[in-house]
Amino acid sequence: MIRSMIAAVAGAMLLALLAVGPAAAQDKPPLIVGAIYVGSVNDYGYNRSMKDGLEEMKKNIPGLKLIEAENVPETAESERVMEGMIQQGAKLIFATSFGHQQFAFNLAKTHPDVYFEHAGGWMQAPNFGNFFGATQAAWYPMGVAAGKMTKTNTLGFVVGVPIGYAIGNVNAFEMGAHSVNPKVETRVVVTGGWSDKAKEAAAANALIDQGADVVTMHVDSPATIIQAAESHGKYSIGFQSIEARQLAPKGWLTGLGFTWGPFMTDTAKSVIAGTFKPAMVREGLGQMMAIAPFGPSVPGDVEKLVTASADKVEKGFNPFTGPVTDNTGAVKIAAGESWGGDKMGNFDWYVEGVIGKAK
Amino acid sequence: MNSALIVGVVASSIMSGTSLLYATLGEIFGERAGIVNLGLEGVMLIGAAGGFAATAMTGSPYLGIAAAALAGAAINLIFAYVVIARHANQLAAGLSLMFFGIGLSALIGRPFVGTLIAGLPRLSVPGLDPDGIGARLVSYDALVYLGAPVALFAWWLVFRTRWGLGLRTVGESPAAAFAAGLNPQRLQYQALTLAGALGGVAGAHISVALTLTWAEGMTAGRGFIAIALVIFAKWNPLWAIAGALLFGGAEGLQLQLQAAGADVSPFIMNMTPYLLTLLVLIAWGWSRGSAAPAALGRNFVGVE
Repeated sequence: MIRSMIAAVAGAMLLALLAVGPAAAQDKPPLIVGAIYVGSVNDYGYNRSMKDGLEEMKKNIPGLKLIEAENVPETAESERVMEGMIQQGAKLIFATSFGHQQFAFNLAKTHPDVYFEHAGGWMQAPNFGNFFGATQAAWYPMGVAAGKMTKTNTLGFVVGVPIGYAIGNVNAFEMGAHSVNPKVETRVVVTGGWSDKAKEAAAANALIDQGADVVTMHVDSPATIIQAAESHGKYSIGFQSIEARQLAPKGWLTGLGFTWGPFMTDTAKSVIAGTFKPAMVREGLGQMMAIAPFGPSVPGDVEKLVTASADKVEKGFNPFTGPVTDNTGAVKIAAGESWGGDKMGNFDWYVEGVIGKAK
Repeated sequence: MNSALIVGVVASSIMSGTSLLYATLGEIFGERAGIVNLGLEGVMLIGAAGGFAATAMTGSPYLGIAAAALAGAAINLIFAYVVIARHANQLAAGLSLMFFGIGLSALIGRPFVGTLIAGLPRLSVPGLDPDGIGARLVSYDALVYLGAPVALFAWWLVFRTRWGLGLRTVGESPAAAFAAGLNPQRLQYQALTLAGALGGVAGAHISVALTLTWAEGMTAGRGFIAIALVIFAKWNPLWAIAGALLFGGAEGLQLQLQAAGADVSPFIMNMTPYLLTLLVLIAWGWSRGSAAPAALGRNFVGVE
């Protein structure tokens, strides 16, 4: 009696599966996209911005399937994770951290039918493209904000790894601040890694001890540094994701965030249409980058200055136009020359007004 | 060298040295009993994740610290069982514990990444100007103030009580302890429970008091620094205070020097705390007659 009941239930389930199965198989997604993050997406920072961009892409392309992996280290492990995603049918892979480049590139060679987009590097292949925000010039208006709001004329900048692009950010920041406040200096502390929370807190404290009353950073997650500044009652300027302003209700001035969504949507659409073209894409304010809302302590006239400066940058203003001197007095960009987007990785010197050693 | 730099270095050495101190004290208990725990990094991470999770869930940082101590002790008991009852190789078991701790802490901490918590409050002397140098020098959280007393208590426990005598005997020669009527395995279990609790508190200090966040692997190798500091301290809890301050100070000093504009490459600056640790270990190793417990690392399999 029991046995026949079990057989009846099993038969019903099988029938149900057979009915649903083919229907489910008909909903084949237009594209399966894989994405790897170097950290956690809840970091109020870089990874959050990547996640937001991918979610926007998913919303814009109905039916698109997204496979994600967080905390993928910048080692051969990432190659295995990406390989797993390709096995699951991913045809477009976003390798979102600088150190994932070589491993994604290796896979591009062995999987010519899968497309890769890497964030922040330079390598290219027929199925491998590169993208990032043109962050350097965008830091200029941040410097304007900091230069106007500082009372001690000392700004603090915490840098994770002093690659050329990060040094360029510091330089543009100081130049922007200098343009509204000739006495201002920027102090730089390097922590040696993109994400070491305890060191970032100590670095922020060190800068505040040395007199900085506006603190900003180029690390993966601005959270710890912003919280450290807020606990000392100092101003902070955020980077990577504009969500971070929740962490500093009083001291938040403004910040830079990435808006990867439109680019990611376009890339996915090009893969679906078969028109993918590898390129080194660097887009700035107005395209891949946006300025965060201003904090409560920023007066209206400063807001206007910053917004005007941001408009200038959007229209093509390049702060790295000669003559530009470094902080030892040597002229690094001669009069009449200017450093364009392709040279942003070449910075190994700090501009006048920055206190720190680049190498 | 301005006064802000000196104050900053002192403050930061005390703040970052505290978690090193607790971890070192814990490891001293274990090693005094003859067991070297290379998995201290894993224990600290479990403490950090567990403490942060408990604080986020209950809203009380004190409960968080207590939870971290319990979690650390529990994890260390697993290691203790493997090494004492099953006679596993201590080094291999320790490293396995480290990987286990890294993974488990990531699992525990995952739902809480990005959560904002009310951390351990900084206690300051009332009446001091909050922005002044004085306030900066004396406003720390409760765990910092408890650090030296706990180290003193640990010293008293190890060197001035019968239990401590038994502990040290087990570490020098478990056979002799057994012959004297002590139970070496029970003492080792007790020592490792204590070590786990202290290691958990050490990790929790980083997440609940220092940075107020949780991130995978956030101890960044401090567990191994603590193991080196045990050697620096010659297995004496009082010297552990000096070691923790020294390393915490070195890290704080290089960051402060960078902020003050030192003309040294930032890469070299970031290396200095680790170079210092290496130099200290080399200098200590020069003298003959190591102070290490004689039976450190060996398993007592009983007297037949």
